[in-house]
Amino acid sequence: MTPFAAALALLPALGAGIMMGFATSKAVDATARQPEASGKINSILLLGLALAESTAIYSFVIALILAVK
Amino acid sequence: MNALTVIKLALSAVVFVVFLVLWCRKRHDTLAESDPKKAKKKRRLPFFGMVISGWFFTATAVSLVVGGMKGISLELEMFSPRVQLGPLSVARTTLTAYALLLVIAVLCVLFRVFAYPKFKDEPKGLQNALEAAVEFIDKFTHDTAGDLSPELPAYMFCVAVLLIGCAASELLGQRPPTSDLLFTFTLALCTFFLLNYYGIRKKGLLGRVKSLASPSPMILPMRILSDVAAPVSLACRLFGNMLGGMIVMDLLKNSLGGYAVGVTSLAGLYFNLFHPLIQTYIFIILSLTFIREATE
Repeated sequence: MTPFAAALALLPALGAGIMMGFATSKAVDATARQPEASGKINSILLLGLALAESTAIYSFVIALILAVK
Repeated sequence: MNALTVIKLALSAVVFVVFLVLWCRKRHDTLAESDPKKAKKKRRLPFFGMVISGWFFTATAVSLVVGGMKGISLELEMFSPRVQLGPLSVARTTLTAYALLLVIAVLCVLFRVFAYPKFKDEPKGLQNALEAAVEFIDKFTHDTAGDLSPELPAYMFCVAVLLIGCAASELLGQRPPTSDLLFTFTLALCTFFLLNYYGIRKKGLLGRVKSLASPSPMILPMRILSDVAAPVSLACRLFGNMLGGMIVMDLLKNSLGGYAVGVTSLAGLYFNLFHPLIQTYIFIILSLTFIREATE
């Protein structure tokens, strides 16, 4: 059963991926509207992406802990 | 050495020679062409054919020596194997980290003794690059965390050098120290210490507690919890990312066997170079953001 549990633990990666795509699309929108603010948008985007990615990373670490002896 | 391997070798060699001849002829034909871009475009197909068939030939030859496709037999380990050093049992990644620190320290001493006295008012070469890096990290720290102290950019620069060095140690075939949870947790604890240090220095102990309980005292446990969660999230993020990159590279190497010739160096451009750089950037920017949040 443990491999299934590990696979299920990876489900948050789905949400993280979708939402990171959302965030990037919004950032592209904002940059297209205001190209002069691209530096600021970039840093905010990277911060948000890192925080969103941490969900996926947690799930990955938990899956590893479950799967690896 | 069975018949199939011989056929593979011969076929790829023949294809390679054919593409080589084609490429040479195209090159000869297009030398007279006025537009160099167009000439390059015409040579592209035989060139790629040459590269792919050459890679296949080399890979087949190498896998003959190595013993063919190994199949996935990867032994995943959360923590690195341990080495017995006298009475101490030390993780191998710790040894790698110490070796890395030694290399960095020696480089620093060499730099101070040989390169630094030669620095002039007008920067050139190495001095130019170093000044650009130092200026960048200085400005970056000031923009993100505010004007706290002159030591903060220096610490951040040290962390960046250490993390990039850790990624480079993977290129030498070592397990990178950043794929050890304890190593990343140590770095994150340094951030936690700095966060509290600057918070208390700027606002005083009472002020820090007061700012944690800012809208109402009810929220104090939550704020303390979120502050404690900061180093955990930093450590887990770095660890997960680096371990993930390492596992992907190991999977590539193990599953491809001899056919990994050249493939791993292409994938390594992302997993050993670009990815650690991004993670270093994120680690630093998150540390600075946490510090700013504590001092604001």
